[in-house]
Amino acid sequence: MKLQMKMKPMLKYTTSCLYFLLVTTFVFSQSETIDATPKTATDSIVFQDKYGLRFGADLSKLGRTAFETDYSGFEINADYRLGKHLYIAGELGFEEKTTKTDYLDASAKGNYFKAGIDYNLYNNWLGMENLIVSGLRFGVSQFSQTRERYTVYDTNSQTWSQIQNNESMEFSGLTAAWVELIFGIKAELFNNLFLGFNVQLKARISEKRPDNFENLYIPGFGRTYDSSKVGTGFSYNISYLLPIYKKARVQKQETKEDEEALDE
Amino acid sequence: MLYFWKKELKFFMKNISFLWIVVLLIACEPDDVCSENTQTTSRLVIEFFDIGNLENTKTVGGLFAVAIDPQGNELAISGEIVSSRDKITLPLNGTENQSQFKLYNNYSVVNDVIQGNPDIITVAYSTTPVYVSRACGYKNVFNIQGFSIESDSDLWMINTEISVNEVTNENETHVKIYH
Repeated sequence: MKLQMKMKPMLKYTTSCLYFLLVTTFVFSQSETIDATPKTATDSIVFQDKYGLRFGADLSKLGRTAFETDYSGFEINADYRLGKHLYIAGELGFEEKTTKTDYLDASAKGNYFKAGIDYNLYNNWLGMENLIVSGLRFGVSQFSQTRERYTVYDTNSQTWSQIQNNESMEFSGLTAAWVELIFGIKAELFNNLFLGFNVQLKARISEKRPDNFENLYIPGFGRTYDSSKVGTGFSYNISYLLPIYKKARVQKQETKEDEEALDE
Repeated sequence: MLYFWKKELKFFMKNISFLWIVVLLIACEPDDVCSENTQTTSRLVIEFFDIGNLENTKTVGGLFAVAIDPQGNELAISGEIVSSRDKITLPLNGTENQSQFKLYNNYSVVNDVIQGNPDIITVAYSTTPVYVSRACGYKNVFNIQGFSIESDSDLWMINTEISVNEVTNENETHVKIYH
């Protein structure tokens, strides 16, 4: 049991490493492809890129709600394309999570909102709309925490007896704010329907702590750590693109040189 | 649109993945186990002083303590052994607002009969649970309200003094006993 729990973060870490490797390979191979194109091409190719509003839901939170007894949550997400690579994006969600340790049982419950930008690192072939997303978010959460039980930690409790308090106590009106880095992919499965995966790294800026207690779990941020303000998360999501207008993407030699210059 | 900082943005967004790896390595540390170095519920520290010279500590020969529960039964204190010393630490009962202890001077057992001079002390206090961490939960902090010696015909303790009211750690002396 203990081993499994230790394995989980390790697995997460390994997966993110894999993604990292995968993505860097993509980026490098892309610039090579551009180099290989014959410089004699003079014709411009024009293709229509779709611009619009994409909205969807987090599948992993639905899955966890169904299979984990101490978790329930839901998240909807949306993004709007601003430029060739840039999107404004946001998420709105609800989470409830029970944390149990040997000496403490507590549950956190609340809503959160995240807003920011997504940047597409992937240079698509003409007519394709896939994304390798690198994103930035600012997140806020409003929640409450209920302490269900605690045991007084006393290394000398053998003499008298261990003291346990089963009185449920609610701490409401708690808030937290954080910044978040996102890294993931979004692939177009069918026309305008996307399936995505991303990992999130968060740094807490501020939080309102309950009196004589702490925030063990913050909706949207995830579990907290004693020694740092860092948090992690992941998401599998499905989304649908509602195209609003189309914009021509002109692929000509000049652009390629520009991109090379940008890529350095 | 956003043209002038396009290059910087692109560079930054590409390198976010590097940042990821670095921070993940730092963030991976366990804090679900309560460390032994964490200060949790503290015991009461009593130090013995010389009634003839109030500044000096004075060793109590063959000192041994047992706890007395609210029903008057004697309870063994874990880790307590007979020894000559000038300091003793006693666990306080967190479910009551007072604890009683029987402190023996020159304790010994001869033919199943306890020898030595027992004095009974009573500590009165208020208890506050204070949050420590996710792994350790809460600890009790005691605030000493009173300290008394139960009178008997042969007292070896002469006077007492509370020096620190808040029992938060075992590095300081909370009560002084003069003998």
